[in-house]
Amino acid sequence: MRAVLRAMLRGQMRPLLLQGLALSVLVLAMGAALLGLSGWFITATAAAGMAGAGLIFDVFRPSAGIRFLAIGRTAARYGERLLTHDAVLRGVAALRLRLLAAQTRAPFEALTRLRAGESLNRLGADVEALDGVLLRLLIPGLAAITVLAGAFGMLWWLVDLRIAASVTGCFTLGALLVGALVARRAARASRGLEDATQDYRREMVDLLRTRRERALQGTLADSRARLGRLDHERRQRAARLDRIERTSGAALALVAAAAPAAAIWLGGAAALGGGLSPALAAIGVFVALALAEAVAPLRRGLGDYGRIAQAARRVAPVLRPALPQPSGQTTIPAGAALSLDTVTLRRGPDRAPVLDRVSMTLTPGERVALAGASGSGKSTLLMLAAGVLTPTEGAIRLGDLPLDILPPEALRRAITLVPQRAALVQGSVAENLRLAAPEASDAELYAALEATQLAAVIHTRGGLQTRLGPRGAGLSGGEARRLVLARAVLRRPAFLLLDEPTEGLDAPTAQATLTGLAQALPQTAMLIAAHRHAEMAFADRVLRVMPNGHLAATQSPELLEIP
Amino acid sequence: MSRKPSSLTALLAPARAPIAHGSVLSVAASLIWLAQAWVIAGALAGWLQGSGNPGRDALLFLALAALRAGLNHAAERQLFRASDLAVARVRERLLGREAKASGSGAFGGPGAVAALAVEKLDALRAYLMRYHPAMTRTALIPPVIFAIAAWHSWAIALVLLLAGPLIPVFMALVGWAAKDASARQMVEIGTLGDLMVDRVAALPDIRLLDAGDRVTGHFAQVSDDLHRRTMAVLRVAFLSSTVLELFAALGVAMVAVWVGFSLLDVIGWGTWGAPLTPFAGIYLLLLAPDFFQPMRDLAAAWHDRAAAQAVADEVQDWQAAPLPALLGEGARATRLAGAPVITWSGLEARGVSYPDTRIEPGARLAVTGRSGAGKSTLLSLLAGLEQPETGQIHVCGQPLDERNADGWRARLGWMPQSPQFPEQPLRAIITEGTPDPVHLHAAALDTVLARLPEGLDTIPGESGAGLSGGEARRVLLARLLHAHPDVVLADEPTADLDPDTADRVTEALLALAAQGATLIVATHDARLIACMDAEVAL
Repeated sequence: MRAVLRAMLRGQMRPLLLQGLALSVLVLAMGAALLGLSGWFITATAAAGMAGAGLIFDVFRPSAGIRFLAIGRTAARYGERLLTHDAVLRGVAALRLRLLAAQTRAPFEALTRLRAGESLNRLGADVEALDGVLLRLLIPGLAAITVLAGAFGMLWWLVDLRIAASVTGCFTLGALLVGALVARRAARASRGLEDATQDYRREMVDLLRTRRERALQGTLADSRARLGRLDHERRQRAARLDRIERTSGAALALVAAAAPAAAIWLGGAAALGGGLSPALAAIGVFVALALAEAVAPLRRGLGDYGRIAQAARRVAPVLRPALPQPSGQTTIPAGAALSLDTVTLRRGPDRAPVLDRVSMTLTPGERVALAGASGSGKSTLLMLAAGVLTPTEGAIRLGDLPLDILPPEALRRAITLVPQRAALVQGSVAENLRLAAPEASDAELYAALEATQLAAVIHTRGGLQTRLGPRGAGLSGGEARRLVLARAVLRRPAFLLLDEPTEGLDAPTAQATLTGLAQALPQTAMLIAAHRHAEMAFADRVLRVMPNGHLAATQSPELLEIP
Repeated sequence: MSRKPSSLTALLAPARAPIAHGSVLSVAASLIWLAQAWVIAGALAGWLQGSGNPGRDALLFLALAALRAGLNHAAERQLFRASDLAVARVRERLLGREAKASGSGAFGGPGAVAALAVEKLDALRAYLMRYHPAMTRTALIPPVIFAIAAWHSWAIALVLLLAGPLIPVFMALVGWAAKDASARQMVEIGTLGDLMVDRVAALPDIRLLDAGDRVTGHFAQVSDDLHRRTMAVLRVAFLSSTVLELFAALGVAMVAVWVGFSLLDVIGWGTWGAPLTPFAGIYLLLLAPDFFQPMRDLAAAWHDRAAAQAVADEVQDWQAAPLPALLGEGARATRLAGAPVITWSGLEARGVSYPDTRIEPGARLAVTGRSGAGKSTLLSLLAGLEQPETGQIHVCGQPLDERNADGWRARLGWMPQSPQFPEQPLRAIITEGTPDPVHLHAAALDTVLARLPEGLDTIPGESGAGLSGGEARRVLLARLLHAHPDVVLADEPTADLDPDTADRVTEALLALAAQGATLIVATHDARLIACMDAEVAL
């Protein structure tokens, strides 16, 4: 919770929040003063009227005070609402952004396994739940404490210590008692509801995403029924939480009634005993009625506490600063080669190595193909060479520099990896391309599309501003592949690592695309995890990843038995 | 103020009676205050005269408060149940249609649908639980208090009469503006959610392109924009309640001042002749805030109504958006009887017309054509995952329709172009029971499993992340073999495979054909095409 609060309350947030808190206190204080003054005024005037002293009673100052408090309170309320909401929204926005930024620095393999459903749950629901930290816990809590303390002082000064103590004591003890009795149960119930909602939502996204698959397996109806059960579970938990909230609401209403009751009892006794004027005794009753407003938010806060605390627990670790990344000015010498030196990678300590003491060098401008059965480790080798995967043993260098000491920007500028399942984003074709090169002109974008045989297609679709749906929906598999390749061309890297670049393309298009790549990037060295003849024929030499994880040279592409 | 939004009313019509029941209970709870105020006024008036029993008054006040809390408790329970049921019904309808859809419709992807079905629909609950009872209280309580005030003093009645009815006029104006602004904001929240899913899904690529900062920068911009819009909504929304509070505060202040002056005998007008008693003065002061309270509750709930209206409109949009349904229920079914002959005529879908074809049981058919020619669509049509615009597919001698689609699919084996795995371990993805080692070997999956740290318990990423393209394809092949299909529909089964694995897949498919299964394969692969008996070129 503390880490979350720190993240939300950075910089210019603090004054905003303090002003909001000050206004909250002002609103409650003016409300209590308004009712107290009105009650005193009427009771006092009645007493004066009965005594026939109506003409000497100063009516104007109290009535002006009543009008001032009425209008002032309204204005303060508007300001309070705006300021606190502004502060909260800003805090939440800051938090959301920090989370997304943290995700972009997460380990690469973790990223590839990120499930959209789960990350959405985390970033969306958790962050939204956290707006309650300020709005429903911190601000109302501090405001209530301040106002109760102030009311105690004022009542003591104006009325009487016993009435002051019993009125504010009723609220304080009552609120603490309800809080202590209910807080834990409410927290548990709201955690339960939150978990059930997350499960339900995840299951729903999963079902909608795979509905065709499930229909084919005949499991769609079952999944649907399971989703129904999860919904039922969720609704039951919501009902449980609602019951707890309702009951604590009733308990708080009784607490709020106990204070005026105490004021009636003690004030009445004092007034009838002659120790206190009826008008002053009335102040106690009216202020006690008004203070109910200070503890009312406790009900909602109790209901939300569990959800908020749980969200904070999940969010906090993600906010921790990412591992320090190498930074500084590192220039990679021109003409440096990319080399793997006896690199071994194991997926687990007692697993057979995926790659075993692999050494190879990719010199500038050279084109090397990797052959090998699917699953033999070609993709893994590319990820190692791109510096997004760390080898178990051995070193990978760019020139003399190990990849792991290079700042990420320098590394990404030198080496571009196009993974097998490269993704596009929602937005225009131009936006997708400019992910790679933000400053590129339209002409440069078209040149890259030309290289991957996509310019004509995009042109007929409506040009660079053609909108793509989520994850690039709207393009065929082959078109998406070529757009991803065009994106890589725009990087103009010294080393281009391609994982099955022409997957999903028919033979003539595949050939033309490879040729286009070579023409667009004549200086670029390419390492290609190849699965078809065209890709191997495109290379200067072919290396084969063997089933035992070794890397073997083959003499020339032509000698390979490839269709 | 009674401008009834039709989409919202229609959506929640079944909940009307139980909600009214709960609202009446909440009115009863509010009316208890009249008695509580009576006790306080009586006590204070007594003190002025030097008489009274403070202990009895205090206990009476407390007892009434307990009754009030009990009634409120009952009202809230009733309102919760009714609103929960109403929202569940809407959600059920939404999911019923979405779960049976061919794919994502024009409305949006799984993220957008889940946002609507879970978070946004909850806005309807707030509306039912808060706005409706506030509406009922507004209709009943102010008139009662007005009548009591008028009984004692026409001047106070006049104050209430002037301050009261003006409020709805202001509120209607302000609320109207708020609704428009809030609709814009609701749409934006959905977009922000979808944008986040989309970007998170592409994070590995974004990282490889060193575009992380640009993407977060863009996201910051969108979220800033949302903040600005939200504040605009709130400024208006809070204005409506402020206008109301101002009227209420001035009304109460005027009542207090008039009562004070009357009790002092400074002014002699405003009552029906007899001078105002201290009891009546205090009683009226205590009641005056509650004359305005229901309207303030209503104003606080006005935003709920605006939000609910925006959700109802969105549900209507969802309803209006075309969402082609797949055939059948997607349930387990007994295999459709008869020889699996497939024929179609006059078939047209997504702008492609398919040549009339008849496929005999055991045939091996290649469907060829350039990317985008409609190969995948044809396979979807044959599996009943999509419905043609015109024409009819016959399977096993009967038209493929709603009733027999599940039974037909029970006979199919399916190998899609891009795997979409549910969030389950491989074991469950491959088959229902225990995977057969023979099939795992035939699919060459056993060697893959040996390399995976968690073996069959591995949960692959949603589109196969954690597995290479070839490995994912072998999982699909293993699943195919376990299904013992009579007809195999395979979409580019060898597309991203190295020659060895491609051969394994081809062999496995041909082995299925040798056992009598019909093979229908959409492919570019010349070697695979060569293994087929016939070709449909699109």
